[in-house]
Amino acid sequence: MGPDSAPGPAAPWRKVLWERQSFPDNYVDERFLGELRRNDGVRQYRYWAVVKEAGVVGQQLSCVAIFIALWLYMEQGLLSPEALLWTSLTVGLLGYALYAALRPRLGSNGEPRTPLADLQTAAIFLSFTFGFSPVLKTLTESVSTDTVYAMSALMLLAHLVSFPYAHPSPTGSLSLNAALFASVCLASRLPGALHTFAMLSCALLMFALWPCLLQSIRDNAPGPSAWLCAGVCLGGVGGLGSRWPGGAALLALALLSVTLLCPLLLVKLQRHKDNIQGPWDEAEIHEDLCHIPY
Amino acid sequence: MDGERYTDVNGKAIALDQRRHASFCTEFTVSSPKVSIGKVMVYTCSVWLLAYAVFFLTDNTAVLSSAIIITLIGMMLYIHLVKVDHESLLVIGSLGVQLSSSYASGRESTSFIEMSKIKDIVINEAVHMHQIIYYLCILLRDPADPSAVSSVVPLFQSSKPKLNCLVKVYKSCQEIISKC
Amino acid sequence: MDQLRKRAARKPAPEADTAASSGPNGRHSICMVSDFFYPNMGGVESHIYQLSQCLIEKGHKVVIATHAYGERKGVRYLTNGLKVYYLPLQVMYNQSTATTCFHSLPLLRCVFVREGITVVHAHSSFSAMAHDALFHAKTMGLNTVFTDHSLFGFADMSSVLTNKLLTVSLCDTNHIVCVSYTSKENTVLRATLNPEIVSVIPNAVDPTDFTPDPSQRQGDRITIVVISRLVYRKGIDLLGGIIPELCLKHPDLHFLIGGEGPKRIVLEEVREKYQLHDRVRLLGALEHRDVRGVLVQGHIFLNTSLTEAFCMAIVEGASCGLQVVSTRVGGIPEVLPEDLISLCEPNVRSLCAGLESVIAGLRSGAYPSPTAIHARVRHLYTWRNVAERTEKVYDRVAGEEVLPLDRRLLRLREHCGPVAGSIFAFLAVVNFLFLLLLQWLFPDQVMDMAVDASGPRGLWGPPKRDTMSAEEAAAPATKAE
Repeated sequence: MGPDSAPGPAAPWRKVLWERQSFPDNYVDERFLGELRRNDGVRQYRYWAVVKEAGVVGQQLSCVAIFIALWLYMEQGLLSPEALLWTSLTVGLLGYALYAALRPRLGSNGEPRTPLADLQTAAIFLSFTFGFSPVLKTLTESVSTDTVYAMSALMLLAHLVSFPYAHPSPTGSLSLNAALFASVCLASRLPGALHTFAMLSCALLMFALWPCLLQSIRDNAPGPSAWLCAGVCLGGVGGLGSRWPGGAALLALALLSVTLLCPLLLVKLQRHKDNIQGPWDEAEIHEDLCHIPY
Repeated sequence: MDGERYTDVNGKAIALDQRRHASFCTEFTVSSPKVSIGKVMVYTCSVWLLAYAVFFLTDNTAVLSSAIIITLIGMMLYIHLVKVDHESLLVIGSLGVQLSSSYASGRESTSFIEMSKIKDIVINEAVHMHQIIYYLCILLRDPADPSAVSSVVPLFQSSKPKLNCLVKVYKSCQEIISKC
Repeated sequence: MDQLRKRAARKPAPEADTAASSGPNGRHSICMVSDFFYPNMGGVESHIYQLSQCLIEKGHKVVIATHAYGERKGVRYLTNGLKVYYLPLQVMYNQSTATTCFHSLPLLRCVFVREGITVVHAHSSFSAMAHDALFHAKTMGLNTVFTDHSLFGFADMSSVLTNKLLTVSLCDTNHIVCVSYTSKENTVLRATLNPEIVSVIPNAVDPTDFTPDPSQRQGDRITIVVISRLVYRKGIDLLGGIIPELCLKHPDLHFLIGGEGPKRIVLEEVREKYQLHDRVRLLGALEHRDVRGVLVQGHIFLNTSLTEAFCMAIVEGASCGLQVVSTRVGGIPEVLPEDLISLCEPNVRSLCAGLESVIAGLRSGAYPSPTAIHARVRHLYTWRNVAERTEKVYDRVAGEEVLPLDRRLLRLREHCGPVAGSIFAFLAVVNFLFLLLLQWLFPDQVMDMAVDASGPRGLWGPPKRDTMSAEEAAAPATKAE
């Protein structure tokens, strides 16, 4: 019974407590830890699948870069606000058409939104932005430019950190607000009220509407969406490179590490995963307990 | 006086003096050691050195004078309110118990507890600062319910003798109390 | 208090001289340390109390150290002179004290020195004070034993952290006691221990407290009793799924549920939704002495725990003569023989099937009588047996050496990894220096040795009280500051 008494094993050891066995209390059977399971139900990742998922992170990074590039063009007077507005309108309409074309296949439950309602929302947003753009233009006049830049950088970073990469469609409120705050800050440093308006509508297009379109493309056509992400990445690097080569190099480096190196690390480190399970684990309740038959 | 050496809970020597005035009347006096000159010197010197250092940095003579005043007032308050020279316990059978403590300045505080209020005298244990110590205490009878204890009066609070000393006092007290 | 006194009123050990032959030193001086003790109520608390009483009966000296509970602070005595130190340490969360590794050293050292402790026995891995006591005891060169009462997972962040702390705490502890084989496997893995120093000693129940009384059962119905805290870990959500399903099939089925907790709302919802107010009774929190009165009213005892190291409740249920149905989790399959318990998987369907078959068995009278079940269960787990086996652990530990500081530091570094090992090696050195400082400020020789009044021959025991000796005087302590 005690730890020191000599074992006289006539009967084999059993893993029961109710029987007084002729083994010492600290007896270790060869079946000790026999029910231990390792890495039960661990997902094995494939490299290219992870790269594809990481592409979403890369493209969002590039989106921010494209936005900054556009702002640089505007600020240096290389791009007129009219041109940007017309381009935004065209791209927006094309995107909307694509979104509308993809939507029926989603099998949406409930009342689908009519194009009229979409038009109404867009009109309200645009008119308010247009009406308030002179106010927004002068909003940060009393703040020093350095502060504005620092704030924008911080907010864009917050946007990137809090962006819901797994399901971009309802853009997280924190990430969307951070992005819009940053664009208001940046837009207010542009030369005129129309510039501000053009920049803000472009920001809405890029940070509010683009993730929705991306989500529906990803749901419907996973193959092309990967190429789309790659395209956005290239566009970001190219756009930034034309005004700020150093920034473009940094962006390219970041994109490479996020989309290629990090997945490689994840897949390589999977080998070291050592997850142990056994009878001591808390049981999980799998049933949906709300659906009890009456 | 007997040959046994007594100490308090911190290991400092104390003296227990027992006087039997009569078979029913005994007085115990626990005396702590006197304030040592060396200790006073050390404290005074350290305060003055500190004051001199501050004076050296600030060039303000008020620091020096205030240090002197603080030392003097501190010493006076210490011997008048804190430093207990000896505590005594006078047990008179059938009459009561008188507790008195006299401070180093000569001030004395005395209190008397009638025998009818006393339920018992016991030795108890308590957590005191970061120590667990034995102490002697008087249990006071609850006037409403004679079998209950209403409150506890600890004895020898400042000298805090160790158990062997407490046991000696306890035995004599029990002898007297059990007689009446 | 009444209940503790009543339980302890058992007869003293028949021969008092066994103490002399029980170990190499004859008699151990044990200090049980845990944050959890009376007036808190639970498995750990009653384990410490019952084990201490049985050890005192066997002639050992036992004191208990815990933290102050509200007004209950200082030194108290329980039955048979069991001395309890309620130390004024700050409680942080869930009755567990805050730990800084050092601040409890002066008081715990005082307890260990004045009581002449040879073995420090800490309980429960949730108790910070227990780990502190192990740490200090090792610094002071005392032998240490630790009892683990609970199971932990390995998956989430908090268990990773607590398991690391447990590794550090147990790496130089002399012996560990677990309450079931599953618990042993769990503890060995969590603390990366050598399984040879881990003993399995189950909990026990007092069979005299849990006797059957079939007359309390109502013949026209079948009653299922559930007694547990109403929390997620006890599977109350499963219970909420079982109740409507079985109540619809069996119109004579009643549920009697004792206990309180955040999941009570689930059961109330179910009761409301299916109009079962007269068939599902929620009794609320139960006093330990009322548990038997509830148990004997039932036919079936149901336990839906999701994790459990030992589960005393099912033994109590079986001891009252009930048919036990339980989930097959943790150490539960080890506790009762197969014919006394129906084990089910932890899901509603399996539990319902298990309960259905037991109900069918009850209707056809296939099960033995409650008295017969009680007679089988009453000898399975007794506190005397637990105390005997624990005593052997103490005997073994008393012969082992406590690692001196240099080897202890090496062991910490080797066993706990370079980072945590170094940090805790540093803490161990600081603790050692703190101990030296305390020994210089308040030397051991200056401290009064506590008067030992425990045990059957002690001053609190039933034997004759001769002349009022001086030592006795120290015993009738009633209240401490």
